[in-house]
Amino acid sequence: MSTLTANCPSCAGPLEFKAGSTVVVVCPFCRSAIARSDRALEDLGKVAEVAESRSPLKLGLKGTYNGHRFELTGRAQLRHELGGVWDEWYATFSNGWVGWLAEAQGRFYLTFYQPLSEGMTLPSFAALQLGQTVPEIPSPSPLMVQEKGNASYVSAEGEIPYRLIPSEQLQFADLAGKNNAFATIDYSIDPPWVFLGSQVTLDEIGLGSAKPVEREARRTSTVGMGCPNCGGPLALVAPDQAERVTCPNCDSLLDVNQGNLSYLKTLNPAPDQPDFLLPIGAEGKFGGATFKILGAVVRSVLFDSVKYFWHEYLLYDPMIGFRWLVHSDNHWNFVAPVNAAEVEQIGTIGAGATVKYNGRSYKIFQDAWATVEYVKGEFYWSVEQGETVRAVDYISAPMMLSQEVSQTEINWSSGTYLTNEEVEKAFGLSSFPRPWAVGPNQPFTGQFYYTWGLLPLFLLLLVAVFMIPLTGLTKTALNQELVLQPATNATAPQVIFSQPFDIRPNGNVRVTAGAQVDNSWANLDVDLINQQSQEVESVNLPVEYYSGSDSDGAWTEGGRTNDAVLSSLPGGKYTLRVEGTWQNWQTPMPVSVKVEQNVNRGVNFCLALFLLAIVPVLGIIRKFSFEASRWKDSMFSTSSSDE
Amino acid sequence: MLKKLYMVFGIGVLVAYSAAAWFGWEIANSGSKSRLGVPFFYSGFRGGK
Repeated sequence: MSTLTANCPSCAGPLEFKAGSTVVVVCPFCRSAIARSDRALEDLGKVAEVAESRSPLKLGLKGTYNGHRFELTGRAQLRHELGGVWDEWYATFSNGWVGWLAEAQGRFYLTFYQPLSEGMTLPSFAALQLGQTVPEIPSPSPLMVQEKGNASYVSAEGEIPYRLIPSEQLQFADLAGKNNAFATIDYSIDPPWVFLGSQVTLDEIGLGSAKPVEREARRTSTVGMGCPNCGGPLALVAPDQAERVTCPNCDSLLDVNQGNLSYLKTLNPAPDQPDFLLPIGAEGKFGGATFKILGAVVRSVLFDSVKYFWHEYLLYDPMIGFRWLVHSDNHWNFVAPVNAAEVEQIGTIGAGATVKYNGRSYKIFQDAWATVEYVKGEFYWSVEQGETVRAVDYISAPMMLSQEVSQTEINWSSGTYLTNEEVEKAFGLSSFPRPWAVGPNQPFTGQFYYTWGLLPLFLLLLVAVFMIPLTGLTKTALNQELVLQPATNATAPQVIFSQPFDIRPNGNVRVTAGAQVDNSWANLDVDLINQQSQEVESVNLPVEYYSGSDSDGAWTEGGRTNDAVLSSLPGGKYTLRVEGTWQNWQTPMPVSVKVEQNVNRGVNFCLALFLLAIVPVLGIIRKFSFEASRWKDSMFSTSSSDE
Repeated sequence: MLKKLYMVFGIGVLVAYSAAAWFGWEIANSGSKSRLGVPFFYSGFRGGK
């Protein structure tokens, strides 16, 4: 690096232009922005003191990007037209590159000047639409316009690689693409300049461990101030980020301008509904990070002339940035911003619309105008009561993807459902009120009963199939024709015995008896008699058969055989004793008897199937009921499940 | 806890079904057991129910 030394034309203090790319140096003595040219130094005007920031970055830090070393040599602070200040750091690389490291809301974007192909013209600022892609910018994935805005330079320090004019206004557009691609179009130059790069983490650019002690120490500091309306004390947790703060003493909404407070208005009273459950300043642990509640908002949507309210807590961790904790109908969601370009929108917003993000498909749940009803605490944007955005929610339990569209921005965020117990544990509190209905993205927790719960049913089928060859096929032990002799009267039974036969152990027994009845009946009592143990197993087998014809045609009723199945009997020799009475007792009654073993009957199987199916079926019914309850509150009710 | 109870119940039903299939037990058994009071002879037998 060749260093050019000179004296400040404003205060005569010594100045150094260390990098060849440096165009402006901010005089550390008088804060004048001094530009160099071929002929002389030029005083562009004074810049304000750099506002104290919680940024982990500082001038002189050295990092590495894509194997190239760089040093942070300059910094500018820009103010957004809607409030909010962000830092831009200038990274001078050892190979001559100049990178822009923008830092906003805890996120970092490293970009480089990207010349456009010859003849390529960018859309004008006025023609640029939120959500449109800009194919003129060379990028591996399409870049979508996320934000259009106006900003002005408020302060700077170090060496700046372009002509920074204090308080100069500029129009810009931020674009995002897949895989963290990021671009900014600077419309302060004609033709506009494009800066292309990506969202990065400090680890990725070799600054992850820069001054961790200092960063940690700053984390818990607060700045004490007095309310300009009532004089009451108030403390800012993130004074460098705050744009609005409310006074807890007089309920005033105050503007924060580089640490200075000014009274804006007295807030309208909070809606008549339960107060915030969590206090401002409370700290909660989520995913290993400790977030402090900076602010809380009551928001509402209007459906059929009824307002529905919910609470949102603004969480802050200097190392991570801002997150939200949403409390609605006693359901909780931890919400983080997502890259809009990563969200794939399928179709237009309306019934059945879906979006894809991170491999998940989300179904549309609600499309409404959300209004800020009440605020408390400090905020990094110029929050206003009555501020309204279009909010579209898509769900895929336990996740919710939300799109908020204002006139200048499209923001997407991803919410993860938290149970009351998880939120209580995060804040070390207890006894939060429990939800009374199913939340939009509340996960169903009973899947086990119709997923793994089906395992016993599957095993039952397996056992049933394998048991057939193991227990053997049906075998006939006896098949004999017998004749009962005529009885002495209608009630006197006749008895006859079969020939002996063998019964094997461990096999059920089916006894079938048949009688040649025709429009008559026979009542047969059949005894299986174990010849060794004298044990008797008895079954009653009534037989009746009727037939005839009437105006409808021929008919029959009953049958000429009947059977009964017994559990297995001890193995051994058996005989059948058949005792019968029959309608035509005066004539002999031919009777057939049959004894079979290992009969596949199915009663045991059906009973087991029934018992094992109860829980999975109840699980499925519960799931349908759960989903019906979830979707009944949706503008886009559907009977289908979300899984 | 409920999941464990259900799995124990399911395994119990499976074991009971397997045992019934192996040993030839019938849940819906139509018979009734009894024992002859005197040594059994084909002639003179008069029931046992």
